[in-house]
Amino acid sequence: MEALGFNMSAGFLEGVVRGYKGALLTQANYHNLTQYFRLQLSSTDYGNFLANEPLPLSTATIADKATEKLVAEFSYIRTNAVEPLATFMDYITYAYMIDNVILLTLGTLHERDTHELLERCHPLGVFDTMPALCVATNVEELYHSVLVETPLAPYFRDCLSAQDLDDLNIEIIRNSLYKSYLEDFHSFCQTLPAPTSEIMTRILAFEADRRTLNITINSFGTELSKDQRARLFPTIGRLYPEGNNALARADDVDSVIAAVDHIAEYKSFFDKAGVSSGAGANGAEEASSSLEDEFFKHDVELNKQSFLQQFQYAVFYSFVKLKEQEVRNLTWIAECIAQDAKDRVNDYISVF
Amino acid sequence: MSGTGPREAVFPTRMNLTLTKTRLKGAQTGHSLLAKKRDALTTRFRTILRKVDEAKRLMGRVLQLASFSLAEVTYTAGDIGYQVQESVRKASYTVQARQENVSGVVLPAFDGVRSKDASDFNLTGLSRGGQQIQKCRDTYVKAVGTLVELASLQTAFTILDEVIRATNRRVNAIEHVVIPRLDNTIKYINSELDEMDREEFFRLKKVQGKKKRDAEKADESRQGQNEEYRAQGGEVHRDEGIRGGDAGGADMLDQGKDDDVIF
Amino acid sequence: MGYLFPTLLVSSTSLATVVGLYLLFTGQGESFNVGKFLAESSPYAWALVGVGLCVGLSVMGAAWGIFVTGASILGGGVRAPRIRTKNLISIIFCEVVAIYGVIMAIIFSSKINGDVDNLYTTGNYYTGFALFWGGLAVGVCNLLCGVSVGITGSTAALADAADPQLFVKILIIEIFGSILGLFGLIVGLLVSSKAEEFA
Repeated sequence: MEALGFNMSAGFLEGVVRGYKGALLTQANYHNLTQYFRLQLSSTDYGNFLANEPLPLSTATIADKATEKLVAEFSYIRTNAVEPLATFMDYITYAYMIDNVILLTLGTLHERDTHELLERCHPLGVFDTMPALCVATNVEELYHSVLVETPLAPYFRDCLSAQDLDDLNIEIIRNSLYKSYLEDFHSFCQTLPAPTSEIMTRILAFEADRRTLNITINSFGTELSKDQRARLFPTIGRLYPEGNNALARADDVDSVIAAVDHIAEYKSFFDKAGVSSGAGANGAEEASSSLEDEFFKHDVELNKQSFLQQFQYAVFYSFVKLKEQEVRNLTWIAECIAQDAKDRVNDYISVF
Repeated sequence: MSGTGPREAVFPTRMNLTLTKTRLKGAQTGHSLLAKKRDALTTRFRTILRKVDEAKRLMGRVLQLASFSLAEVTYTAGDIGYQVQESVRKASYTVQARQENVSGVVLPAFDGVRSKDASDFNLTGLSRGGQQIQKCRDTYVKAVGTLVELASLQTAFTILDEVIRATNRRVNAIEHVVIPRLDNTIKYINSELDEMDREEFFRLKKVQGKKKRDAEKADESRQGQNEEYRAQGGEVHRDEGIRGGDAGGADMLDQGKDDDVIF
Repeated sequence: MGYLFPTLLVSSTSLATVVGLYLLFTGQGESFNVGKFLAESSPYAWALVGVGLCVGLSVMGAAWGIFVTGASILGGGVRAPRIRTKNLISIIFCEVVAIYGVIMAIIFSSKINGDVDNLYTTGNYYTGFALFWGGLAVGVCNLLCGVSVGITGSTAALADAADPQLFVKILIIEIFGSILGLFGLIVGLLVSSKAEEFA
């Protein structure tokens, strides 16, 4: 039934976003890029976006420019969106906003010049009142201005107090915020009609599971206690609740594998990544990069699938994620070419 | 001849000859010692050179690996530079200097020390790319280790280079300046002494000739006196010594004491 | 939009129940009489409501389809301007649905004349009911056909924008959808052909 009325408010934007998606680089594009970077880039949707850049190009410039393009496309859609798509797109930006606020917090805690930090913020997560955060001079003030000025206030209120901002490790703050954000986004998606909520649930569930697994694996051998760790796990996803409980108790990679045993996809990641039970901790270190790669691949796959269904909002989310992946790929290829590492240049994750 | 080449400004006396000879001997000993030192240093230098070469190649590879692993981190975790900068409170990798002695040359050597409790930012990338960050960090520690090694080798290289050059200069100075000069001095003194000898000899010859002539003259006059005396009926006694004869008095020993020759 | 349909259903059912119960409890239960209602309403009313429903629902279907398709063509056309001419065919398919409705309405209305002596004859009853239900059938058919063509057309536009090869393939499906309207048209024609002019 969603098809009947969807196009009233979002049909045009869906068409546009699908158009953008159609302009994502394909396998063939990537292949050519690995041969002649700049030459081929101008024949794709990126056109002459590097034309005005002074030589020699740095990979950072390429990444910046590509991100700029993503932001331009995103804000075009955002400005044209009406409710509830507008809220949906705001939710997309909250993820980047969390990073920015954390960055500013970090700067304030170390008493850096926060204005300089504004330039380092991710452009997707920029909000109007962000410069107001720079005014804060101490943690207490910052906490209050975050509560007043940012859309992230509920997340802050729920999981942190002003003391926490000072005491806790910044990564823990970031992850607890992200956990609240994921849960909130998930519950918001549940209020949207059927295809959107289904697809977004799938994507967000994977995102939550990926975070849970990553946090578990990365926290081995650090001072993060199991108790703290368990509090960072989002309470959504396919691993919730019994998988999360098992992961909260996990001590090594083997118990992580055991915890995800009942979900065939996740298990296959570990199998593919070669983190076998015999390899032990050492093997985990060797292979975890490819575990990360497997996650990325699955993420891309899920986001690709969301384009298979029309008349739903997940395409907007997926577009941003796929474009982000593309920026990463471009940076990777550029980096590989710059560092003359031709054997690794094909390790990007092709979107289409 | 003694005139060529520089020499020391000494009087050509026997004592100076002895002194100069001692100095020459000293110079030669010094020369051989310095040459030995030079050889030792050069051997060391070559080893270091080879090591520097190896280390530089290794550094190229290691740094490439390291910056590549940073690229991997950027790929998975995004730009973490600022977070890492902010969360580091204390250097986790420090350099200790110690000294090494090679044939009297003090070479500084650096050792990288990784402190145990360095885990300031091990929560960075907790939710994404944490493993890569750890890997990248390890790679960079290795790279910095190589750099430290290279730095200590390079310092040793420079210092040794200077020392070897100085030693070489000294060896060459002794070989080409000091020893020839001493040689020249000795030759000069020797030649001067010879010259004096020859002059003396000639003088003696001259004295001898003069004496001979005087003796003959005296002989003749004595002969004449003897004849006269005999003609007057006197008896002339004759010396019956060696070569005694009519002339008599030919024996130099009869002539009384010669004048001392003073050199 | 998703809530419109159930809301409508619930509110109309409850309204009908309330009215029915009101009649029942106020001692007017007899007036809740379907047979009397059918027999006493004018066949003209049935016929004209049928004509109105026929063209109204058809136009609604066409309009609905056109806006669904149109929005997607606009959106897709931003990045792939080449689709705009080709995809007019989807708009035309939707438009055709309205034309079916108009044709049927014209045919139906030709059965209606105002010059009748005795309205309540069997033949007039038949004509009235035939035009009403025929019109309803055509209208609903065309409404659903229009919606289906519209949604397919919107998909066709986006698919065409993504990959030009897909256009023809989806167009075939769209044609199947647009044929649905014809079924209604045929049935409407058959029904109305049995009905005589009002006499």
